Amino acid sequence: MAPTSASAADSPTQSAPDTIENNLQPFFVLHKASSRKSEKRSAGTGKTRRRIDLSPSPTKKTEKSEECDEQHRFEQLRMEAFELVWSKIDSTIKDVLRGINTNVFDEIHRWVCESFNTIKSFGTPGIAEATRAFPIVTDASCKLLFAGLVLTKNMEFVDDLLTFEEVGLCLKSHGCHVANLSSLDFSAKNGIGGCLRGLLRQFLMATLDAADMSILASWYREQENNNSPVVVIIDDMERCCGSVLSEFILMLSEWVVKIPIILLMGVSTTLDAPRNLLPSNVLQQLCPSKFVLGSPAERMDAVVEAVLVKQCSGFSVGHKVAVFLRNYFLNQDGTLISFIRALKIACALHFSMEPQSFILGGLLDEEEQEGEKSGLLPEIILKNAPQLPLYVRNQMAEQNGKSLVHGLSELKGLHKCWSIVVLCLYEAGNCNKIRLLDLLCEALDPDLYTSKASNNVVLENDCGLPITSDRSMRRKYSTSQKGGLISQIIHKVRDLKAATLYQLLKNWEKITMDVPEIHDKVKELQSEFRFEDGKLKQNVDDISKRHSSLSPLNSEKDSKAISEKAAALLDSLVGDFFRPIECIPFHEIVCFKSVEKLQSALIGDPRRRIQVDLLEFYKILRCSCCSKSGNILLPSMHDASVMYTLAQEHGDLINLHDWFQSFKTIVLRPSKKGKPKLKQSPLPKKRKDMNESENKSEASIQARFCRAVTELQINGLLRMPSRRRPDCVQRVAFGL
Amino acid sequence: MGKEESPQVTRRTTRSSSSATVATKTCDSHPLTIKDLVFGEDPISLNDLLSSFPGRRIQILELVRLLGASNSPMLPLFIYGGSSSGKTSIVLQMFRHLNRPFVYSSCRTCYSPRILFESVLNQLLLHRKDAANGYLSAKRCERPSDFVNFLREALSNVINNFKGNSGKLGTKKLVGQADGNMVYLIFDNLELVREWDKSSTILPFLFNLYDILKMPEVGLIFVSNTSPDTYYSNMGYMEPIPVYFPDYTEDDLRQIFMKNQANRKLYSSFLDVVLRPFCRITRRVDELSTAFLPLFQKYCEPLHDLGVVPNEEMKRRLFSHLQPQIAPSLNEVFKVSSQSSPAAESNKETKKKSSRRKLGVCAEIDELDFHMSTSAKYLLLSAFLASRNPATLDASLFDSMGGIDSRKRKRKSSQKSLEKKENAEQELLMKGPGTFPLERLLAIFQCLTSVAEGSIDEEEQGDEGVQGGDGGLMSDVLLQLSSLCNANFIVKGGSCPLEGSTRYRSTVCEDMALKVARSLKFPLSKYLYRR
Repeated sequence: MAPTSASAADSPTQSAPDTIENNLQPFFVLHKASSRKSEKRSAGTGKTRRRIDLSPSPTKKTEKSEECDEQHRFEQLRMEAFELVWSKIDSTIKDVLRGINTNVFDEIHRWVCESFNTIKSFGTPGIAEATRAFPIVTDASCKLLFAGLVLTKNMEFVDDLLTFEEVGLCLKSHGCHVANLSSLDFSAKNGIGGCLRGLLRQFLMATLDAADMSILASWYREQENNNSPVVVIIDDMERCCGSVLSEFILMLSEWVVKIPIILLMGVSTTLDAPRNLLPSNVLQQLCPSKFVLGSPAERMDAVVEAVLVKQCSGFSVGHKVAVFLRNYFLNQDGTLISFIRALKIACALHFSMEPQSFILGGLLDEEEQEGEKSGLLPEIILKNAPQLPLYVRNQMAEQNGKSLVHGLSELKGLHKCWSIVVLCLYEAGNCNKIRLLDLLCEALDPDLYTSKASNNVVLENDCGLPITSDRSMRRKYSTSQKGGLISQIIHKVRDLKAATLYQLLKNWEKITMDVPEIHDKVKELQSEFRFEDGKLKQNVDDISKRHSSLSPLNSEKDSKAISEKAAALLDSLVGDFFRPIECIPFHEIVCFKSVEKLQSALIGDPRRRIQVDLLEFYKILRCSCCSKSGNILLPSMHDASVMYTLAQEHGDLINLHDWFQSFKTIVLRPSKKGKPKLKQSPLPKKRKDMNESENKSEASIQARFCRAVTELQINGLLRMPSRRRPDCVQRVAFGL
Repeated sequence: MGKEESPQVTRRTTRSSSSATVATKTCDSHPLTIKDLVFGEDPISLNDLLSSFPGRRIQILELVRLLGASNSPMLPLFIYGGSSSGKTSIVLQMFRHLNRPFVYSSCRTCYSPRILFESVLNQLLLHRKDAANGYLSAKRCERPSDFVNFLREALSNVINNFKGNSGKLGTKKLVGQADGNMVYLIFDNLELVREWDKSSTILPFLFNLYDILKMPEVGLIFVSNTSPDTYYSNMGYMEPIPVYFPDYTEDDLRQIFMKNQANRKLYSSFLDVVLRPFCRITRRVDELSTAFLPLFQKYCEPLHDLGVVPNEEMKRRLFSHLQPQIAPSLNEVFKVSSQSSPAAESNKETKKKSSRRKLGVCAEIDELDFHMSTSAKYLLLSAFLASRNPATLDASLFDSMGGIDSRKRKRKSSQKSLEKKENAEQELLMKGPGTFPLERLLAIFQCLTSVAEGSIDEEEQGDEGVQGGDGGLMSDVLLQLSSLCNANFIVKGGSCPLEGSTRYRSTVCEDMALKVARSLKFPLSKYLYRR
């Protein structure tokens, strides 16, 4: 987003060592930074962003040094918790993505084996034949190059970089020779030599300046096991230079008998892409097969299910954050990578902002060790609890001082029920192609719950399940959300066919395994179903056999009744257990809600940032000479910021001559205006400045002027003079 | 190039190759000998050669005449003819027949002068790149002058060697011993050399090589799929003797395809059906054979026994079975089969349908089958509009929404205006989509999103605070633009990136744009100016 601003901000600070992840300081900085304006940068993507504001925070800190130790300890705890939680989330995501791809990978491997066998059936030349320069004279079909087209289903291909890497590893583990090429190897600049060099570099582990297919042929025949295929993977076919790629394919097809090369190409749009990119004589050398990876929406759902619904880490997001994440995914970027990044930022922000978030780490720990160390956690919590505002807030509600530990476990339980209901709903909505992300957004909405609960008197009863006395209330709940996804799903369940309903109940049974109270209900319904199942199945058979004789009405009625019951069950589940996390006490500990922070961290505003940095450069440079000058321009300032400040006084067009004159006066000014203010600055240095300024020749000022103009142009703030108005530059950015 | 080959020869190739693998196991590291300069397999007789290339009798005899008896010097040859008309195969088999030493280098594999030179030298110096020598060439040679020196040295070495051998052995010949003292240099795919350095040095150099070397023992053969006229032969070198390989006739093709067939009767009846329509489109053997392979499988589908001799009635039945397949496959260059597990077999049908692109069956594919973010979709649409609509109409199209537009269209319906419309359409087709500057694209994009966002806001009133109106879709348009460029939906004209004057052009077809618009529920046709 803003590599320029990041690096610009980076350089003046004393760059921290790279072991930042394990260090406690950066985290503490992150926390501090979140309250500052520059937070959006510091909370950026990676390690580098965090160290930006390293220096100012200690200065602020020193004022309340007595709390420092205590704070320090908490920060360390939170830091550890963040790492624990994020590593858990990260590994979960990776597992999920890997799981999604395994089927396709198996398919690809099978296809590679088949193709290899086909190639081998044309004959396996010996080393003498394979390394000869002239081609082996064979059938036309032997020159076909097997090409797998992997449809990634996403215009942005960044998500699939990892996928192709893993395909490569998977094939390698099956004994193939694999090379991963990317579009960079197929640039028009390097030509065919570039991609052959890349190929040889990966196979031979050697860089040769005269890369050539005959080298590959002799390498392949030299191998101990020349009994395995050579797979060349090209990540992103669309971005390759068409002529180089077609040249490459033609060359490979000439050698395919000598080296059994199989091509695997990622196609991010449609199958028309190769048709558009490659000429027909190249296309007909290919023997294409297509493989389809999971669509981004499917992958997203899998990730959301594992991370946000199933609660692998305990960390969760609030309604508004979820809506923001969804919109960001759908409208802006559409890549899983950016979603994960956003999630990571959210996670980091949460741990930096929420003083009690360290408990989450403890919770996770406890879960893993199955209560072994559980004595420690409450101790810490109880010890620190009194200072925590959240606790105080909640104390008002529960006068009898229910312990935090109890509250937390309750939160966990409630949330588990909620997630199971969400999964049930998702399962039911699956056939209608309802996306989990959309469902999640609705399910997290606290308004739904509170609007329902305000009708219900049992709202403030914290002891878990609200006592839902009358059924009509619940009915009202589900019907009141006419347009909502949840009511849509429940409605759809009512119309389900018997077979699908049966399958659905089975899935529900699996999902609800851990929560006995829901599980029992599902079981009950299922047994009812099973009781009628035999009859029902038979009926279906009957209908198919003799359609008219026996009235199908009966069975239809039966299944109708059952699906009605299923819908009612779902409805009651929603009524009983559907408590969004934001409506559960102590949710602040595990739930990230501050969407504004996330938005500014994620989207940022690079252009504004550039302008602000130019105008308030001293905040970054932190030099002693200019920081106290206020709005007065000094010759010691950076040229570009002087120029930009001057440009503020102009309109659309800036007359270059005027601009230069004013720049010159400022640069040459012996800083008389600034003198009284600058008194604190070291005197000898200033005198030197003055002497220098006198010596400055016109030419050097002009050079500086030109450089500054170019810098502003590169930053996108100016446009160079046009032919029509050769003496004026145009301002491009106005205001902040 | 040449892929047609008689069954006997192919079989023999494989057999001898399998024996060769056995041999190489033992003598893997053996240095190459001078014997490796010949084809390396049992020589074939002229009759075999002629019968394995039907329809090429004249050319083969011509080549034999031009190459002459052993040890007779020859002028450079220039063999040309369309792709896949048997040039390379015939030349190689010819040398197998003649059993004379030759050096072959294809300018496709040897993609630069340096690699071409080194490849020739490696073969002459009997050098093989392997792990032992770090896959390096025998000689490093980049300049033509170096090449001439090295080549002369290597050639005279080889020729002396041959002379010594033949002198020693007299008339008695060893198996695998080359015939005569001539060495032939074959340069295949010569047409590619024209693009290396705009044919300024290498091409004249290669044509001049015979004169430069002044060695009568060297024969030069150029193989190209374009005629000598395309080589600007006014550079002052002696023009090589052209040998033209014309396209195969339908009868030749029939003979070629009949060669390797197990059930000749059945295949003959198949060719009766398909050969004529396909010959009208292409006469290239490789194209035809790839097209015939799936069709023949389809043809045989109703048969249980592939050895059956078809009678008239069966032929008719098979024909009616194949008939609907022919027309689509005539149009199809690139057929993507999906490699699916048996479970997913059922949806194969639909996939095949979608690969049949040009048949106007766009009705059933109305879903966009890959993911794009909403703002990328709007950007794509605005690029499409910017490319299709004249810039002068932007104001009227986007200010007052279509009302005036429709009235205007009503008025025009006379004969003359229809004609005009047709002409304009033709012109549009010829010109293709127009270019537009970035500013125009962004302006249109803003208009579209402001229109669309109204409807989006109505849909989701819940989150007005978070997703502020115009900021919602606008934030990283340039990023989206670059990814659209990467996906080849928008083409960027070359220009200085710092100046704002880069011009773009949208390359998406209307079907695609309509699909995108449908997925957004955006009324694209309302904004599209139709002449």
